[in-house]
Formats: sequence, structure tokens, C-alpha cells
Amino acid sequence: MLCIETNNLTKKYGSSLAVDGIDLEIKSGQVFGFLGPNGAGKSTVIKLLTTLMPPTKGELSVLGIDAAKSPLEIRKKIGVVLQQPSYEMTLSVENSLDKYGMMWDVDKKTRKQRTEELLTSFGLQDIRKKKNDDLSIGQRRRVQVAREFMHDMELLFLDEPTVGLDPSARRDLLDFLKKQVQKTGLTIFYTTHVLSEAEYLCDNIAIINKGKILAVDSPNELKNRFGREKTIKINLTKTSHSITDLLSGIPDCKIELEPEPTITINSSDSEVVLMNVLKILNQNNITINDLSAIPTNLEEIFLKVVSDSNEPNN
Amino acid sequence: MNQIIRLVYRNLTISINPGFIIWQILFPLIYIFVAGFAYTSLIENVPFGNKDLSYPAFLASGMIGFNIMNSTLISGIIIWNDRRHGMFEQIMSGPYTRSDYILSNIVTIGIIGLVSAGLITAVGYPVFFESVDFSIVTIPLLIFASVVGAILFGSIASIISTRLRSSEGFNVIINTVFLFFAFASTAFYPAQGAPQPLATAFYINPLSYLVDIVRAGIFGQITDFVIMEMAFLIVLASVLFVIATKLLTKLDF
Repeated sequence: MLCIETNNLTKKYGSSLAVDGIDLEIKSGQVFGFLGPNGAGKSTVIKLLTTLMPPTKGELSVLGIDAAKSPLEIRKKIGVVLQQPSYEMTLSVENSLDKYGMMWDVDKKTRKQRTEELLTSFGLQDIRKKKNDDLSIGQRRRVQVAREFMHDMELLFLDEPTVGLDPSARRDLLDFLKKQVQKTGLTIFYTTHVLSEAEYLCDNIAIINKGKILAVDSPNELKNRFGREKTIKINLTKTSHSITDLLSGIPDCKIELEPEPTITINSSDSEVVLMNVLKILNQNNITINDLSAIPTNLEEIFLKVVSDSNEPNN
Repeated sequence: MNQIIRLVYRNLTISINPGFIIWQILFPLIYIFVAGFAYTSLIENVPFGNKDLSYPAFLASGMIGFNIMNSTLISGIIIWNDRRHGMFEQIMSGPYTRSDYILSNIVTIGIIGLVSAGLITAVGYPVFFESVDFSIVTIPLLIFASVVGAILFGSIASIISTRLRSSEGFNVIINTVFLFFAFASTAFYPAQGAPQPLATAFYINPLSYLVDIVRAGIFGQITDFVIMEMAFLIVLASVLFVIATKLLTKLDF
């Protein structure tokens, strides 16, 4: 079943085009990553999908509900953790959870039970009596994300939820989210700048730049599509000044001797290139200290896709 | 539970704290029992309708109107804090509409206004009980003043809160506006004897109308002029409420 469906979704601020005719189809029960550089239009898309603002043009359906006709019905079924912090200064951590549950009309008994569970899951037990105003940025962010699980929902929007979290809290949150998806069939729409997070968590990923979707696929498929070029680093025992000339004849690759004495090779046909390089080094009695192939990661794919889209002819 | 009630409950929970309650009670008490008796040597009696009120009785009844106005500051503070700390956007992304948000604020300030008025009436009663002339319209008039006054001044506070983002700007503007309303009114002293421009300022100030209605209710002095003041307050409160609602509706994210 489709959880989110957009058709030519467009948002203009004055003459500036923030979202440029996006078509998206997101299936239920998955974590969908939404990646893009700063100002790419990610948060605007979230505000459109959560019906916080109407689109300038295009159609949008969330959980099978037409956003133009029944925005409130959509908001009753979704959870949203926006990019900016949101908190009530005067409330304690446990009160924040409880009052947020009350605002979602969750009954008192369930609120009490969920508050205890979430305080434990998010490592907030020690600071449960502390006021929001006295929390660190990371603690406040944890409360903000935890709070959203006080109510039932079918779809959760998380806009950079790990900002300000330490690595351990970050991993705990990702694992918690994975469990929720497995346990409840929740769909998560997830934006982040930490691409290793997206790779760890997301079933599918969209890359957006300048308001346009550049690619949508699973992390592995994106790597296959855009990540054929591999990087091989060969560390030599000593520098040979003639090495650049010796290797310059090898076709279909980019070779750099920086920093010396390391040769960096970039090629989409890396196996063949590597064989040629090793042959030349052997013939010239140049010995190797270390050799490593760097696997393609999502960050490289992201940088490639975004930088290609920034080329003048795109 | 109805969504307006849930938001009102939330507003009251986040707003009412020991500091606010002390401010709401202690401040009028100091005025009534310290300034009221200290200024008696300067202002002995104040004519009001066909009565001569003692200054403490005049001041205590004025403090009811003042406190209604003062308590509505909370409305501006709620909206400003919600915008400043991301809760406005968070609430709007949940099961609420902007109308729910606006209505809940009005109900909140109405409740706080009523409670404030009741509190000061109870506290000030020993001071003005000699001149009291309760009638069947006393309570309705006090309720009218509390609700219409709360909407009027709550709307002003809301308008200010929608226009300003910085805490310094918000505090300076709201305190200046409310200080002018407080001291260029008949809440603390009578208009008689004030220089003409100041006396005129007193009677373009809605707080003067509000305290007149409160006093009319307590001291049984309902005249045509008071009824005119009530009509004026209703019109002004309605206009300001519409403006505040429009501005809140147009707030973007």
C-alpha cells in the first residue's frame, strides 16, 4: 500500500522555487530516507507532506487521504519531529511526555505506561524531573523524539532527529526506530545529513537538490547505479619520480601521486587498471608497502549525484 | 476530551507557576494595602457616581480591572513562547487547527481573567465593603468585565506577540504598552484634577472603561455612561480579536 503519493508537488516562495514538481511513491512499513544538501528543499517537502503548508501546485495524498481535502485527518494519523527544537520551558521531562500524550487524547493509564517505557528507552530516567529549559541540546532532542511515541501513528516524519546527539545516543535511537518499524509496521520519513545513518536505517532513499528529486532507490541499488567508480590506494615503500610517467599510459582511470609515496587510482574499471598498475610497478622493481580498495559508500554517491546536478548544463 | 479543552488545559499547565501566582496576588496586595493607605493623606475621598469612595476602596476596585488586564499578558506570553520554542509549529502539525489554537487562548485568558478578578475582589473586599452596593447585576457585570477585558487585552498581547520574535523586543513593547494602559487610566487615581490632556488620555484608554464597569458593579452606580462604556468595550474587543485572529492565521512556519 502506498503511504505517500505526490504528483508534480511544487512550492514557490515568491519567485523562488523551493520544491520543483516532485513525484514520489512511498510504500508503507519502511524507513524512507530523504537526503539533500542544506537548502535543497527537504524541510519544505516535510512541511508540505505534514500539511503545515499548502503546495503552490500539484497533488498530494498521505495514508490514502487527499491533503487538499482533509489535512486535519492526515495530521491525526502522523507524528512529526521537526528540525527545530520544540519544547515547553516550564515542564519537566516526564511532564512533557505526559502532557504531549494528553494533547493527543491518550488516556491517563496508557500515558503513564508509555512515559515510563520511553524514559527508559531514551535514557531519560536520570533527568526525568529536570525542566526542559535546563536540558542540554542533545537531551532536549531526545525528549522531542521520545514525546512523539506517546501517541499512536501510522507515519512518522523525522527531520534530522539526531542533531546534537552523541554517537551512542544516536545509535540507540536508530535501533529504537528499526524496532518500531519491525514491531508496529510504522512508516518513517527520515531526513539526515549523516549518510552513514541513512545507510544503516533506510530501506529506500531519495536524493534531492534544488527542489528536484535526483534519484530514488535502495542504498545498494544507488551504489550499483552511481558507484561503479572505485578508489584504490597503493602505498609505496619509496617515491619514484618517474612513477607518474610510467603510469600515465594506462587508459580509463585517474591516477594521482599525492600524498607521496601513495598512488590514488579512481576508475570504473578498477580491476583491470589495478592489474596494469601492479604489472608496471613489478617491471620497474617498485615495491609496495600497502594496498587498499575503498568501498563505495553512500556519502560518495550523494556527493556525486549532487555535484552532477550542480553542473551548469543540469 | 475536546481539542479546545485539551489545549486550554495545556495552556494553564505551562503558564501557571508559583512565580505567576505570586505576581498576580502579591502585586495587587501591595498596591491595595500599602499604596492605598499611604496615599490616603493625599487623596482622601474620590467621588464616583453619587457616592464618595475612600481612596483604598477606589484603588482596590481599580486593581480588579488592572489585574484582569495584567493576567491577559499570559496570552501574549503563551503565543510568543510557542513560536519561540517551536511549539506553535508542533501543535499545528498535530490534531489541531489554527482556530482551535486561537479559541483555546481566548478561553485560557478568559479563565485567568475571571479567577484574577475573583481573587482581587475577595482580597480587596475588606477595604471596600463599607461602600459596596451589591445588586442582581453585580456578578454579571464583573463577569462581563473579566471576559471582555480578557479578550480585549489578550488580543493586544497576541497582536504584539505575533509581530515580534526577539525576547527583548517583546518584553520592552509589551511592558511599555501595558504600563501606559495602567498609569494613564483611572485604575489607580481619579481623572478629576488631572491636567486636561492627561484626563483625555484617561478616557481614550480601555482600561478606564473596564474599571468603571467593575466599580459600577461593586458600588451600584450603573448609569447610561457605563452602558455606553460597555458597548465601546465590546466593539473594541471584537475589532482587536478579529485583527489578532487574522494575524495568527497568517503566521507562517
